[in-house]
Amino acid sequence: MTSITGHPAGGEGIGYSFSQPTAAPVKQHGFYPYTDNGGSTLGITGSDFAILAGDTRSTSGYNINSRMVPKVFKIGGDDETGEGAQIVLSVVGFAADGNALKERLDAVVKMYKYQHGKPMSVSACAQRLSTILYGKRFFPYYVHAILAGLDEEGKGALYSYDPVGSYEREQCRAAGAAASLIMPFLDNQVNFKNQYIPGSGEGHALEAKKAEPLPQTHVEQLVRDAFTSAVERHIEVGDNLQMMIITREGIKEVFHPLKKD
Amino acid sequence: MDHFPGTWGRPRNDVYGAYNPQYLQTTGPKTHTSSPAVTGTSVIGVKFNGGVVLATDNLASYGSLARFTDVKRLRVFGDKAVVGFGGDVSDMQYIDRLLESIDIRENYSSNGNMLNAKNLHTYLAKVFYKRRSEFNPLWNHVLVAGFDGEGKPFLSSADLLGTTFSAPHLATGFGAHLAVPILRRLFPEETPIEEISREQAVSALKDCLKVLFYRDARSLDKYSIAVITQDGIDLKEDEQIEGQSWAFAERIKGYGAQTN
Amino acid sequence: MTSIGTGYDLSNSVFSPDGRNFQVEYAVKAVENGGTAVGIRCKDGVVLAVEKIITSKLLKPGANKRIATVDRHVGIVSAGLVPDGRHFVSRARDEASSWRGTYKAPIPTSALANRLGGYVQAYTLYSSVRPFGVTSIVGGWDSEAELAVDGQVGTGPKSGAGGKVEGTPAGGPALYMIEPSGLYWGYYGAATGKGRQAAKAELEKLDLTSGNLSLLDGVKEAARIIYVAHQDSKDKEFELEMSWISSLDGPTKGRHEEVPKELREEAEKFAKQELEGEDEDEEEKGQGEQMEE
Repeated sequence: MTSITGHPAGGEGIGYSFSQPTAAPVKQHGFYPYTDNGGSTLGITGSDFAILAGDTRSTSGYNINSRMVPKVFKIGGDDETGEGAQIVLSVVGFAADGNALKERLDAVVKMYKYQHGKPMSVSACAQRLSTILYGKRFFPYYVHAILAGLDEEGKGALYSYDPVGSYEREQCRAAGAAASLIMPFLDNQVNFKNQYIPGSGEGHALEAKKAEPLPQTHVEQLVRDAFTSAVERHIEVGDNLQMMIITREGIKEVFHPLKKD
Repeated sequence: MDHFPGTWGRPRNDVYGAYNPQYLQTTGPKTHTSSPAVTGTSVIGVKFNGGVVLATDNLASYGSLARFTDVKRLRVFGDKAVVGFGGDVSDMQYIDRLLESIDIRENYSSNGNMLNAKNLHTYLAKVFYKRRSEFNPLWNHVLVAGFDGEGKPFLSSADLLGTTFSAPHLATGFGAHLAVPILRRLFPEETPIEEISREQAVSALKDCLKVLFYRDARSLDKYSIAVITQDGIDLKEDEQIEGQSWAFAERIKGYGAQTN
Repeated sequence: MTSIGTGYDLSNSVFSPDGRNFQVEYAVKAVENGGTAVGIRCKDGVVLAVEKIITSKLLKPGANKRIATVDRHVGIVSAGLVPDGRHFVSRARDEASSWRGTYKAPIPTSALANRLGGYVQAYTLYSSVRPFGVTSIVGGWDSEAELAVDGQVGTGPKSGAGGKVEGTPAGGPALYMIEPSGLYWGYYGAATGKGRQAAKAELEKLDLTSGNLSLLDGVKEAARIIYVAHQDSKDKEFELEMSWISSLDGPTKGRHEEVPKELREEAEKFAKQELEGEDEDEEEKGQGEQMEE
């Protein structure tokens, strides 16, 4: 684009007919301290048990880092075997933060037992976990945590958290990459959302099916179904299903294969 | 006459203008590493029956410049652990010295260095995680190879964010894209590592290095390879990729001597 | 000691009128009660040995080591107050590690001895501290090969200018002994502790100055000398503790290590044989006759 005087337009140097960048654009390669390692977790409680489960895939973008990286941990037990633990924590999101969080909570629960001579209650542990998460409110642990155990009455207890410590006790919760796939399934199958008693009435008189605690075998099957379905639709979920079943007898850990594609 | 000796010997203001003291300013935001400078590319490793093999090439790049061509990126710790470094070379040197000081301290006791590869990996991951949490990362992705507390072969990864994972075969950087699929095909993850021989593992890594040399622009055909067994470490640092075939280049524009 | 009891012996940092620091001299007395320690500088390495008096049958044999590793290539043994020795070793380790931090290379044994000498000397200057109750023998092997800088990554260009002079001798064995005053010298053979006189007499017979004694013979001699030095306190049982540092192509590859059990036992067997032989010789030759070797 030359001007009518025939001189190059623009103030500087050679007159290009298009705008020329004076230098290569400043490439700022800042340091971002988080990454997403994918995967999903899920917890459901019953009248005398709680189940926490997660897949074992670890991802970086489209890469599978490993097919066997557990996301569900026993808290307050032996370092190697987890023996003696009564509380289970699952973490999904940024795995390094998840590990750091797990180790901190584990240390806290152990110290509680050494100092008070009795195991920490799930409700106390739940509150403590919230405090730990909120303590890093301005540089959060980038994880969705779920804590499970048996409460003081022996009923299944499940607490779910956001990354900065907001928490509530729930019947069931799905977290992580496939949370949006699993949670509606749980709403329907555990809390019987959108289920009505057939023939109970017309329109608004139709009576909703009331939620009640489910038997353990049924819940185990729900968990497996939830994950096999999530694997089909989410690329970050797969490889193996890790399940921790907390009952009065202790914690049972089982693995099931999932699709590896 | 200028009566202030402090100003003698300085460039004259009437000639050069007043000195701009801004350059002397030392205050301002504290800055940390926000990108690596001299870097190494992939590290690859496989477990086999009775040990682990680890390999890297010997190149340190400065951006796209192949800057140093005899860089040893496999570092030995104690007598049964090796760390393979990808990423920033100066951070690698820092970590290497850190590990050396630990080894010296461990040797104060007559039992010698009792830390195994698993312990070393846990430690390194915590160092990485601490530094990323201070926003002052050590810009590396490493593989740690050796044995765990029960004497079983150990191979695990740790990176600048503190992320860790372990698998029968691992690769960092470009290797995660190019080497892992080859290794997964050769040694499917469900086959126990007891069925993989040392020779198979070594030759698989050599194949991977070759593919990486073909396709990773920041790689070199000179490499280091370490075989860690209970008998010790067999480290070779001046190897050459053999059996290259560039026949395919004839059919691709930009390679070789074709003119059209 | 004419000025004893005149008050000049009560404090560090105060000279007696005849120019002595009595606190230092008393520290030497503490050393003279300690188990004998010796060091031998051999052709291809250094040996350290100490006579560890068994003070209780309840102590585990072989435990409670008295020879310490300071850096890969340096060891220290001391005679005198054991806790003072431990603190001294701790300082030596800090010095060695700080040297590495600065120069990215192992500390030369001479430099370590110099710094430790300075450190010990400082404890003779102030009234608020007492001198070290140890005399320490520092043994080291300074690498004879060109060493890579700690963390070094490559070997540099394979051709072209390097500026290196070929065949320049470098490194080798080093042995120093540091006394409570801070005084230190380099030695061919050093001895301290209760049996130092006998030990020194034996060391002098070894012709160490010619530099012909091999490390393996040095180990045997060190064991023998400790056994000889123990003759004067035969009523007490003792354990022999030995460490060595060889050249890079030797058995320890330039590192300070404990002498392997088998070798130590062999050396002890040799030492015992030599002692028995000596006794017989003395009986044959009769009283008053001097032994010659």
